[in-house]
Amino acid sequence: MARRGAPVDVVGVGRTFALAGDEVTALSGFDMHVPAGGFIALIGPSGCGKSTALRLVAGLDTPDEGTIDMDGSSPDEMRRGQRIGVAFQDPSLLPWRTVTTNIRLALELVGRRHDTKAVDELVELVGLQGFEKARPSQLSGGMRQRVAIARSLVTKPDLLLLDEPFGALDALTRQQLNDELQRIWTARGTTTILVTHSIPEAVYVADEVLVMSPRPGSVVARHTIGFERPRTRELLLTDRFHAEVEAVSASLHRSEGQVVQLDTDPS
Amino acid sequence: MSATAETAATAPARPAGGSRLDRVPPRVLSSAVGIAVLLLWELLARTVYAGSYRLSPPTAVVVEFFEFRGLYLRNLWHSTKTAAWGFLWGNLAAMALAVASTLLPWLRRSIGAVVLTVFCLPFIAIAPILRLITGPGNATPIALSALAVVFTTYVAALLGFDLAPGSALDVVRSYGRGRLTAFRSVRVRASVPALFAGLQIAAPAAFLGAVVGEFTGAHRGLGILTVRALGALQTDRIWVIAVMATIVATGGYLAIGALGRYLCPWSPALDVGAVPVPHAEPGLLNRLAGLLAPIAVVFVFWYAFLWVFGIEPFFAKTPVDVWAELFSVSEAPETRSIIFGALGTTLWTTSLGYVVGLVGALASALVFILVPWLERALMPIAVALRSIPIIVTTPVIILFVGRGLLTTTAIVAVMSFFPTLVNCYTAMTRTPEGILDVLRSYDASSTANVRNAYLPTSVPALLASARIAVPTSLLGATVAEWLATGDGIGAVMVTAFTRNDFKILWVSVAVLTIVAVIGYWLVAAFELRTLERMASGISR
Ligand SMILES: Nc1ncnc2c1ncn2[C@@H]1O[C@H](COP(=O)(O)OP(=O)(O)OP(=O)(O)O)[C@@H](O)[C@H]1O
Ligand SMILES: [Mg+2]
Repeated sequence: MARRGAPVDVVGVGRTFALAGDEVTALSGFDMHVPAGGFIALIGPSGCGKSTALRLVAGLDTPDEGTIDMDGSSPDEMRRGQRIGVAFQDPSLLPWRTVTTNIRLALELVGRRHDTKAVDELVELVGLQGFEKARPSQLSGGMRQRVAIARSLVTKPDLLLLDEPFGALDALTRQQLNDELQRIWTARGTTTILVTHSIPEAVYVADEVLVMSPRPGSVVARHTIGFERPRTRELLLTDRFHAEVEAVSASLHRSEGQVVQLDTDPS
Repeated sequence: MSATAETAATAPARPAGGSRLDRVPPRVLSSAVGIAVLLLWELLARTVYAGSYRLSPPTAVVVEFFEFRGLYLRNLWHSTKTAAWGFLWGNLAAMALAVASTLLPWLRRSIGAVVLTVFCLPFIAIAPILRLITGPGNATPIALSALAVVFTTYVAALLGFDLAPGSALDVVRSYGRGRLTAFRSVRVRASVPALFAGLQIAAPAAFLGAVVGEFTGAHRGLGILTVRALGALQTDRIWVIAVMATIVATGGYLAIGALGRYLCPWSPALDVGAVPVPHAEPGLLNRLAGLLAPIAVVFVFWYAFLWVFGIEPFFAKTPVDVWAELFSVSEAPETRSIIFGALGTTLWTTSLGYVVGLVGALASALVFILVPWLERALMPIAVALRSIPIIVTTPVIILFVGRGLLTTTAIVAVMSFFPTLVNCYTAMTRTPEGILDVLRSYDASSTANVRNAYLPTSVPALLASARIAVPTSLLGATVAEWLATGDGIGAVMVTAFTRNDFKILWVSVAVLTIVAVIGYWLVAAFELRTLERMASGISR
């Protein structure tokens, strides 16, 4: 059942937090357009507002200015329609539930608790067979992240929001999961936004890589990645892949160095 | 205190769908609620309960106080002095024991057992026994007041010493210095915040001990004033005493809290209410030794107590005497049926009261979580009430509810309600934001949030409160029975007391203490198992 994902239009979004009497502007003039079924990677220095942007798109927070539209729905409506799947930086598993029941939580919340097949499939997909009955405290950090990823996928969401979900994984597992993510994305057509600190990862999986400036965060460079799909590991060794990684890397360094010249077009 | 401050700090930047009441400052809200309660109370007392002895209107309480202020202030001063002495001696003893437990780890279990046993004593019934030694003066209330603080301060001090950063201890060790140096230079300093958290709880407890000591025949003090007023059905007087006791006990609690914050402003608020459970040693033999050694120590203390004070055999009963009284003398079956029959009544009414208080507390905590403005209006009041020794207000409850089994249930319910509410609510507010975000991202219903996040996160706090509640509920029940109801083991003890029947008194004290200790350990064992089963990474 390949439902088509929702397009996401973020225009001029700003978000300022009050912090101990002070104000912190996390995002300002943030624009992002993700076509239906698109795959976007967000990359930027630590603290630039990537997580904040993702929370806004997930309807977990509201912007102070600007609009977010998803095919005529607001993020809050998408959230209420249970069409979003999220996996955050912190796996946020329920410590008293097992791997299986943690993944099933999402199904329970959307009223499909009996879909055991979906749970079993995802346990296998993230490579946690044999750990079905383990609790989070008995898992490594990377295994916990994989449970969170499985949970975000199990409801077959229209919009998938992933915030550095592979941070604690070794390079090999990371590559495997990227391949799986790509496979699921191709099969389901889920609109996906992935926050990552790894430039090669962003270039490998995404249609478009958005580079953000330091706080207050906004998009300073867009790189359309034109590699044909399905992408395989051979791609990683090619010169055009390296050239693309170099280009993104250069924009990232430029964005960090030129905080004052945010408006100049770096690409 | 910490609960509300913390919620304010960790509240989500923008609560979704907030009510307009969310913007009213909490102080204004709780004052408004306080005034409304006072008005309603006045109204009820003047209409529904007029002339019924059951409820005094606040205005009458104020008038009564000013009319007899000499009498009240004299007795209040007396009880406060008693409590202050008890506070001093009890805390000194507790700290000495905590130091010994830290420096001599092999003594820890035995000291812990003695301290727990003291905590489990039915204070009201040991007053007559203590009076045999101390005579009619003020020493018995002071001693009880001291005993009432030993447990909490001991636990807090121990927790504080153990909290010393391991790395700092390693530094001391790396310079080749021993345990004593480590203790002096690291542990003592590190323990200050936890110690103050314990002393804070000890202040109302000391007052409670003093008043309970005065219940059973002192010449002066609020306790004896209460007993007389209860006999004469002087409702206004009982209310004045309850209000004064509340103010002084809460004042002590707040003053020590403020002192603690002044002395160590860097430290986070510590809640000693949730004392961690000690882990059992592995191995059957170790476990058996771990169980038997403390019991032996308690019995040694018992004999030593009788021997040191040289109490006459007519009054003094050894463990062997108590055993004989229950199982071998000719009247033993009769004694057994009296004691265990009464104990059954007490346990039944106490458990019922505890469950009522627990369910009410959990329900209230959940309502507070789901309706933030209600929490801001009522939580400060609940936090203040948690610190007051509810037992001191027993006479007020006796008047209001009447004399009967229901009184015991009501008192235990009120006693368990406030600590459970505050501890569980605080635990619920510490539910990780990430988990709540996941639930929110699927638009989970309130019921789903409660079931998947708030209830499970409150379980450790719930069990810790339950463990402490076993001895305190039994104390509350026996005080109520002693003062009023004529049922249960408290009534058996008061009858024995008036007839100078020291056999029954000792047997009752021993049985009640053993029941409380066993209850404590049963809850502790259940707690340990549940926490392991939940494998909870929830930090407390
Ligand atoms: N709830 C909040 N209250 C106050 N400040 C916040 C809040 N959430 C985020 N911020 C601030 O907003 C800024 C952006 O934070 P955000 O978490 O979005 O960064 P990030 O790009 O995800 O960083 P990282 O790569 O380290 O995860 C930071 O300065 C942070 O302190
Ligand atoms: Mg982040």
